[in-house]
Parts: sequence; C-alpha cells; structure tokens
Amino acid sequence: MSTDPENIEDLVNRRYEHGFVTDIDTESLPPGLDEDVIRAISMRKNEPEFMLEWRLQAYRQWLEMIEPEWAHVHYPPIDYNAISYFSAPKSDKDRPKSLDEVDPKLLETYDKLGIPLHERARLAGVAVDAVFDSVSVATTFKEKLSEAGVIFCSFSEAVNKHPELVKKYLGSVVPRRDNYFASLNSAVFSDGSFVYVPKGVRCPMELSTYFRINAANTGQFERTLIVADEGSYVSYLEGCTAPMRDENQLHAAVVELVAMKDAEIKYSTVQNWYPGDENGVGGIYNFVTKRGDCRGANSKISWTQVETGSAITWKYPSCILRGDNSTGEFYSVAVVNNYQQADTGTKMIHIGRNTSSTIVSKGISAGNAQNAYRGLVRVMPQANGARNHTQCDSLLIGKSCGAHTFPYMEIKNPSAKVEHEATTSKISADQLFYCRQRGISEEDAVNMIVNGFCKEVFNELPMEFAVEAQALLNVSLEGAVG
Amino acid sequence: MSRRSLPIDALDRTVAALSDDALAEARHAALAQFKKRGFPTTRNENWKYTDLSKVIELSRRSLQTSTDAERPDIDRIRELQASIDAGWLVIANGKLNRDLSTTLDEDGIEVSPLRLDSKDLRLEDPLADLNLALLKQGLSLRIAANRSTDRPIALLIVDSAGTAPVLSQVRIDIELQANAEIRFIEYHVSAGDDEHYSNAHINVIARPNARADYLRFQDRALHHSQTARLNVQLETDSEISYCGIDLGGRLTRNDLKIDILGQGASAIFDGLYIAAEGQHVDNHTRVDHRVGPAVSAQEYRGILNGHCRAIWNGKAIVHAGADGTDAQQANHNLLLSEHAEIDAKPELEIYADEVKCAHGTTVGQLDEQALFYLRSRGLDRDRAKRVLTRAFATSIVNKSPIPELHDLIGNAVEQRLRELATGVPQ
Repeated sequence: MSTDPENIEDLVNRRYEHGFVTDIDTESLPPGLDEDVIRAISMRKNEPEFMLEWRLQAYRQWLEMIEPEWAHVHYPPIDYNAISYFSAPKSDKDRPKSLDEVDPKLLETYDKLGIPLHERARLAGVAVDAVFDSVSVATTFKEKLSEAGVIFCSFSEAVNKHPELVKKYLGSVVPRRDNYFASLNSAVFSDGSFVYVPKGVRCPMELSTYFRINAANTGQFERTLIVADEGSYVSYLEGCTAPMRDENQLHAAVVELVAMKDAEIKYSTVQNWYPGDENGVGGIYNFVTKRGDCRGANSKISWTQVETGSAITWKYPSCILRGDNSTGEFYSVAVVNNYQQADTGTKMIHIGRNTSSTIVSKGISAGNAQNAYRGLVRVMPQANGARNHTQCDSLLIGKSCGAHTFPYMEIKNPSAKVEHEATTSKISADQLFYCRQRGISEEDAVNMIVNGFCKEVFNELPMEFAVEAQALLNVSLEGAVG
Repeated sequence: MSRRSLPIDALDRTVAALSDDALAEARHAALAQFKKRGFPTTRNENWKYTDLSKVIELSRRSLQTSTDAERPDIDRIRELQASIDAGWLVIANGKLNRDLSTTLDEDGIEVSPLRLDSKDLRLEDPLADLNLALLKQGLSLRIAANRSTDRPIALLIVDSAGTAPVLSQVRIDIELQANAEIRFIEYHVSAGDDEHYSNAHINVIARPNARADYLRFQDRALHHSQTARLNVQLETDSEISYCGIDLGGRLTRNDLKIDILGQGASAIFDGLYIAAEGQHVDNHTRVDHRVGPAVSAQEYRGILNGHCRAIWNGKAIVHAGADGTDAQQANHNLLLSEHAEIDAKPELEIYADEVKCAHGTTVGQLDEQALFYLRSRGLDRDRAKRVLTRAFATSIVNKSPIPELHDLIGNAVEQRLRELATGVPQ
C-alpha cells in the first residue's frame, strides 16, 4: 500500500484536543463510600426523605452484588473507596440567573471546547442544561419550554419540585438492583437531567445536556429520566468531552426513558470522554446503563450513539417493547483507537404484539484497540408478529486491533421474523487505489470511506450533532490506515 | 452432595473396577479433575441454554446400579450393514464389538487401543474429564500416509439400556497422515427401553494435505441423550468436510471445535437439526483460525415444532497474524410452534485485519409467497408447507459429504418431518 508511514504516525499520534483542566475550586467530599457519604450527598442536595431512603436501599443492595466480568474488556480492579462521590462547583449556592452570571472560567471551558454555550444555544435554538461536574449551573430556554408545559430541569430540582413524577418513574425502567453499576449510581447519583413532556405535546426544540467531568478523582454519576406522556414527542441530545488526566475516572450513568401510548423519544449521544493516551494510560471508564420502556401502544424509542471516547465503554442502550406496535431503534458508531476497549450494543425485548426493532451497529477499530458488539434480541411467547433486523459491521484499521461480535437471539414465538447480518472487513487496497487514482489524497480517501461506512448512523443524528460527529471521527481516525 | 456432582464413592468404585490398562493413570487424573469441577452449569456461558440436571440424575442412577445391561439390536445392525457399503467399527455402550466389526487392514487403517500419557491430558471441559475417568476402552485409528479409500468407514455407535439407565463413554482418536484421504460415517442407533446417556469425545488430526469427509447421523430414541465433542486439528493444506444431522434424542449437545494450524486448510461444516415435543438440541461450534490463509464455512439449519428448544452457537476466532482468513457462518431456523424456542448466537472474535468474515442468522416461518406459488399450482396448504419444509432441510442433506447416503438420510429426514407435521397442531 502506498501509505506514507510518517504522515500516518503523525495523525495517529494526534493528541486529545480537549485535554485541559479548568481551575475552579470544587467542594468535594473526601474519597470513600458508606451510608454517611450517601446521607451527606442527599443532605447537600436538600433532598426529601424518600430520595435518601431510595439511595440507601440501593447502596445496601449494591454491597451484596458482584462486579460483572463477562464483558470483553480488561481493567485493573476499581477501588470504590478511592473515589470521591460528590463534587460541586463553588458557585452552587448562588445559582446564576442567566449566562452573564455564570463563572467566566466555566464559559471559558466551553469556549475551549469550541462550542460556546450561548452561541450554541442561540444559533441552534437548543435549550442547554449544562452539567459541569455534578451540579447544573445554567439552564436556558426554560420559559419557552414551560409555555409548552415541558419540564426540563436538573434532577435535583425535579426531586424537590416534582417529587410525585420522580417517585412514579424513577427506577421504573432501570430498577435499583438492575446491575452492579446501575445500583452504585442509584446510591450516589450526583445530578442529571429530568424531562417530562405532557400529553399531546411536541417538544418545541431539541433538548441538550452538555456533560463534562472536571475535578480529579471524582466519579461522575449522572441520572437522566425522560418521560414522554401520551402522544408526545421529544428529541434529546447528549454530548460529552472530558479533560486529560492520568488516573482513570469512573463514570457510571443511568438513563431511563419512558414512552407512553403514541409517544416518541429520540435520544442521541456523542460521547468523547478522554480515551487515555497512546499508551493506554488514563481515560474514562464509561459504564452506563441506558434503557427505554415503550410502555404504551404505538410508542417509539430511538437510540443513536457515536462513541469515540473513553478508555473503556460498557454500554447497552436498550428498548423494552411492551406496548403493541411499538418500535425500538438502535443506531451506533463506535470508534476505538490506541488501547481503547469498547463492549457496546443493545437489547431489544419484544413483549407486545407487532413490535419491531432495527439495529444498525458500525464498529471501527484501529491501533491496539478492541471493539465488541454485544446485543440481545428476545422475542417473548406472546409477542406475535415481532420483527427484528440487525446489521452489525466492523471495520479494522491496523494489524493489532480487534473486532468482535456477540449477538444473542432468543426467539420464543413462531410468528417472529428475526434477521441478523454481520460483516468484518478492512479498507481495501482497491478502494483506496480507486480514490487515489482520481486525485483524492490518501487521508481524504480514508475519511470518505469511513464516513460512508458510518453514513446510515449519521443520517439518524440531528443536524448539529452530525457535523460534530464527523469532525470527531476525523480526529479519531484520519489516516490511521496502515 | 450437590445436584451438580455425582456420588464420589460410586465414581471411585466405578473407576477402580475398570481394568488396570494403559489408561489407568489418565483415568485417575481425569477423575480428580472431574471431582473438582463437576458438571457445567447454566451459569457457564457455554452452557447458558442447556441444563444438564436430567442427565446428571440419570448418570447418578446408572453409577449406583452399575449394571452393564447392554441390549444391542443385532438384527437392525445387520440390516444397516447390509444397506451401506462400508468398513465397520461397531461400538456398543462404549466398547468395540469385534463380532459386528469388520477388519480395516485393506483400507490402510490401523486400529489399536487408545494409549494416553499424562502429558496428553489437556482436557478442556468437565465432560471430557468425565469421559476419560469412566472410559472403558478407547480406540486409536491411524490412516497411513498417501492412502485413500473409496469405501467409507462407518463408526456405528450403538447405545442400549435394558433394565436400568446406562451411562457410556466413547473416545476415538483419529490421525490422518500426510496426503491420506478418508470418508467417515458416524452413525448412532439406540435400543432398549431404559434411559441412556452417551458422552462421546472424538479427536481428528489431519496432517499436511490430508482430507476427511465426515458425516454424523443421529436418530436416537427419545429416551436417549448425548453430549458429544468432536475436536479437529487441521495442518497445512488439509481439509475437512463435515455434516452433522440430528433428528432424535431427548437432550443432544454437540461441541465441534476446529483448530486451523496450517496455511491453506479448509473446514466446511454444516448441520441440520429437527426437534419436536420434548427435545432439546444444542450445537456449539468453534473455529480457531490460528494461521492464514485458510477457509472456514458453516451452515446450520433447524426446524422446530412442539415444546422443544434448539440452540446454535457458532464462534469463529481469528487470531492475531491469521491474515487471509475467510470465515463464514450461517444459521437459519424455521419455528413452527408457539412452544418452540430457538436461541442463536453467531460470534466473531477477530484480531487480524486481512480477513473476510461474515455471519447471517434468520428465524422465521415459511415464505408466504412461496406458499402462494405452490398453492396456485394446485397443492393444498399442508402439502405446500411440507414441500417447502422439506426443501429447507434437503439443502443441507444434499450438501453432506457422503453422496451415497443422501437417499437414506433424505428418507429419514422426510419421515421425521412427517411425524413433526402430524404430531403437533400448527
């Protein structure tokens, strides 16, 4: 192959652009985890009694659970007592009323990311609930949303202002003892977003949260709950990027989606946490539980994710297709380079009649990275007419990376139609040659091929995310062919 | 005593009662290992969908009664032998029956009792431990270099239990020396009224440029169960063409493991499983591509009706450096009853980039358009269904490696499908 090795090395070795630490004092709890820590978290957040009780029960259940080992990833044991479970920016007590009042250093952080908060909010017409470490510090467009009756606020606020909704839906999709990391999250979750879209309302704008891990040694435990009531629609964007540091950071988030009759939720993620350096040192452990419940008839939940960051990704955004005629979708691009490891996929549980699900997963591996798709399609005996189509393709770039597929199909209904296809390949010399012959540089050619490979998924992303996703892909991979 | 283990004293007694031959040392080592590990449970990923508790219970009763109630159906065996032109090795409840077997000298095949050094004890799963610990007699077959025979060799495995449940172990090691070519038929028959559990372990080593055709046909009685492991090692330019057909048995578990050790090797393996009321059939395949270029391709098809469950788990691992690998997996299932369940899992683990790997899995019903086509030509719905179901199965039978058996197997498959269609309302 006519590749210039130096040029490639240069590109592969490109450093993480968002690697910096913002120097803001944080008020953190000392490392360690026990019931007192949970009480302290709950107290600082002025939570009502039921919330504290919920956390404590989760913690007690977590103590009895064993960390899962089945994923195709390897990491040294995590010392859960070396993590600080709460960190909030100093300005927490006097929450800014507008962006002008936000700590300028915080705004600077967003500037460095290339996506200024106000710019982004104004230009894109997006309401941003910025999560800086663990507490929401700025929420915009709230008024416009409240006109429509949409509740979009931080989780802490929801616990205090809408306890009845939180009580009703929290843990109803991902129960407290669902899995080890979800249980931990239930005990110590710091903050997150809460969305409630009332009956018949089409949310007037795309909702977005910008996540960012900041204080060293602080695990980030986000909790997101989105409820779309009958006949409503909401599109939610989640994006994240984190500063560079050497110690591994644990990120164990939980996202719960509830779609009632005729409702639709579209959840899009661009994940670009710090992946560790080229030797595999540092990086985020991203152990996330995401699940959507299509509770009512004709409801729809669609997950789209572009995963380029994190040292380790353990994430299976899933759909429980309970309502008749409900639809679940999962579109994913997962890119790993250097020593990154990803074990990601989805679960589609068909319970209602005539439910359908689509899975499109594109995995790209480069360097010494390992990328695994793990998925489950389960058709229950009563799910007449269930339909699933799964396609998972892997692209390998380099000699030392790995691409793996572990799809599970459990079919208990004779009227189900389930199809699974998977392919693994590399960028072929022929394809490259064809492009080169027409005057396209090697780098652009690889870019074009990879973008084409991912196109089906990018097409599902909202406009502003699609642009960001392509840019991210270029940074992660450009010229990594060898 | 745990539900997962066998009574230690009965195990010790059974092993002690076996003859003090060349296998004695290996048996004791395997026994010690089995005592430690016990049977695999559904918590083990490889056994997630197959629960062995019924065969464990059966084994326990068998060890406690320890009768050697062998009841082979001699007439049926003779009849079978008359219908297939082959060299015969008849293994009844784990032991070679010399009266029913033929000499294989003229085929260039050397048959000898199995010998094992303790260094050979690389046992990969607890069932292999159990197999060796309780092995009465093992066989070693060697096909001389450059020999090729037209006449297939039939391993007839006869399992029978008369008045008490029987647990039997089969172990055969087959070595094909360089350039040897051989055609095997592994044929299972069962007899007797009581329950039987057969635990088999067959190893095939194909030296450079050797070639094996291997057809396994299993149509046992529904009160018989089996776990069977076939390990194949392929050296440079060697080939195996395999087809496994499972029609009978209450619980059937097949583990097929293929190790590609030499460049230019080729492994083609297909399977057909038909399950009805009360049956459980589990096919696990694993191909390790350790070097490339090499080819592996598999296609398994299943037809399920009634309360039954089938599992297909195909795994291809392309190790680092195995460039030029081409690995293909396909699995198609027809689910005809609301009580049937299929669990399919096509897995790929790939650590090299110069590869072509793909898998496809489908679960569904007969194609409505195809049904309509046949009905428009005057076939009634049931008939049309039968034609299409048979066609679905026949595509595997017709690909199987021993062409002279296609009719025999095709008829057995058709017979089974007829029972399937009439036995359970659709």
